[in-house]
Amino acid sequence: MSELFEIDNLQITFDTKRGPLQAVRGVSLVIRKGESVGIVGESGSGKTVMSRAAMGLLRGRKVHRTGSVKIEGEELLTLSNEEIRNYWGLRIAMIFQDPMTALNPVRKVGSQFSESLVKRMNMSKDEASKRTLELLGLVNMPEPEKAVQKYPHQLSGGMRQRVMIAMAIACDPELLFADEPTTALDVTVQAQVLELLSELRERLGMAMVIVTHDLGVVAGHTDKIAVMYGGEIVELASTPDLFANTKMPYTEALMESIPRLDRKRGDRLPTIPGSPPDPIAARPGCGFAPRCRYATDKCRTEHPELTDAGNGHMYRCFFPLGGK
Amino acid sequence: MARSKKPLGFRLSSGWLYLCLFISVFGNFLPLPEWDAYDYDASGVGMFSKGHFFGTDFDGSDLLSQLVHGTRMSLVISFVSVLAASLIGGALGIIAAYRRGWIDSVITMYFNVTLSIPTLILVLAMVAVFASPDPFDPGAGMPRVLVLVLSLTFVIIPVLGRLARSSALSWTGRDFVLVAESLGMKKRAILWNHIVPNVVPQMMSVAFLASGVVIVVEGGLAILGVGTNPGESWGSILAKNRGDISMLPHTTLLPAAAIALTVMALNYFGDYYRSKIDGRESRI
Repeated sequence: MSELFEIDNLQITFDTKRGPLQAVRGVSLVIRKGESVGIVGESGSGKTVMSRAAMGLLRGRKVHRTGSVKIEGEELLTLSNEEIRNYWGLRIAMIFQDPMTALNPVRKVGSQFSESLVKRMNMSKDEASKRTLELLGLVNMPEPEKAVQKYPHQLSGGMRQRVMIAMAIACDPELLFADEPTTALDVTVQAQVLELLSELRERLGMAMVIVTHDLGVVAGHTDKIAVMYGGEIVELASTPDLFANTKMPYTEALMESIPRLDRKRGDRLPTIPGSPPDPIAARPGCGFAPRCRYATDKCRTEHPELTDAGNGHMYRCFFPLGGK
Repeated sequence: MARSKKPLGFRLSSGWLYLCLFISVFGNFLPLPEWDAYDYDASGVGMFSKGHFFGTDFDGSDLLSQLVHGTRMSLVISFVSVLAASLIGGALGIIAAYRRGWIDSVITMYFNVTLSIPTLILVLAMVAVFASPDPFDPGAGMPRVLVLVLSLTFVIIPVLGRLARSSALSWTGRDFVLVAESLGMKKRAILWNHIVPNVVPQMMSVAFLASGVVIVVEGGLAILGVGTNPGESWGSILAKNRGDISMLPHTTLLPAAAIALTVMALNYFGDYYRSKIDGRESRI
């Protein structure tokens, strides 16, 4: 598999009244063609900002971006608003967290859908509505002919997310960002949507990035996983390796806080004490040190670098689990 | 789909508004005396007199004819000025929200400055400036109705404009705008296809309320002596007969009732419309 998308030392800083807010602090990530990558982290870890910035959606006077984001060697970060539009939808697309708000409430599903086909693929209206039905069929939408005549509020959450997925893949992108694609859906629908995404990825041969706070979501649907904390990647490994040889105490804590059936009734769900680091305040040591049960003085004063365990398993810790 | 029964208040209001609309279109064809004819034999007769259903005023002009004739003027003044203000204010508000930066600051400042001056006084001043410059030749200058419409439009622009701006701002931040962007839609297309269709219904409900306010302001202007020509609109019928209120109360009460009913109907209509939109919003 060849390299499709390369994020190199991406840093995103927002100007705020309290000072510069460093949401993403030097993230590097390579996504190969057709690969499925999970990005996991809790709220405020910078995972959403990272994916939106990688796509180029974050722009403006108060956003400072350094580093590099390349798709097949073409730099995206320096493109103008006008130029990047040629990539959006056609080569990189995104599906968003909340399908409730991601569709315009006053327009019928069909007209919103075919609009992007007409404008982006230069289709005629008839071609576009035909293709709309095809795409809705592709995402297993029951009765697509009826669905296009409906307003978004007449569809269920799962149906709406299917519409969003179909819209995102309409122009056959090479890379699909899915930002918390299942968070707003109930559990059974979550499984269906994830299954659908995996199936589409294989059929269309596109690469996919699933951004989520739930390790369980990405476990069965990704080739590799990047764990983010405080704007940095703290662990990066192939999915089986990450679960089998967890190196980072933070990842371990995340895994412990997944609800399990084999736990005793009445046991409290383990949580990670404390809260994520302040993205504005200076941070000398490891960001996770204040919440880490293994932290030493070194962790609190020195910043750990991303280290390779040898097989491409990267971690950012002085005292990795299972030794170095 | 079964049609849900509309509330009684809504049906009464829309009934009244449709009646007014019918009268203002076909009123001149109704078999009524000329509205400005003087029937001195029946000067100041009361309501339900023979030949004069709502009686006559002091000059002997038929009151029903005047009310019918005034409907058109009152409605035209209020609807035209609110429509013009919706278009101009809506465009300004949406442009402000969409462009932000200094354009936003200038437009917002214009809205706020205009809003800080009391409506009636501002309209009074504008009418005084634009209308006949020569007190001995009231026909000179712009037609009075045009002056009224222009001035009223000017004072409602900021009301509707600010609403359009805040509504457009709130819609701009919605996810579906981001989705459209992420699919590579052009900003202008997003504005027309996603922002405007959401802002328009919100403006419509306020436009109904504004029409009511304009009818009242127009009546106020008539009483202050800068309205339309005597007897041409509901407000000026009221103004013309205000001296006779103790002798011929129906000559002032009837036009006042017409104004009050219409304003109430418009308010109810606007409220009902907004509750429909809010209901739709909450189901998103």
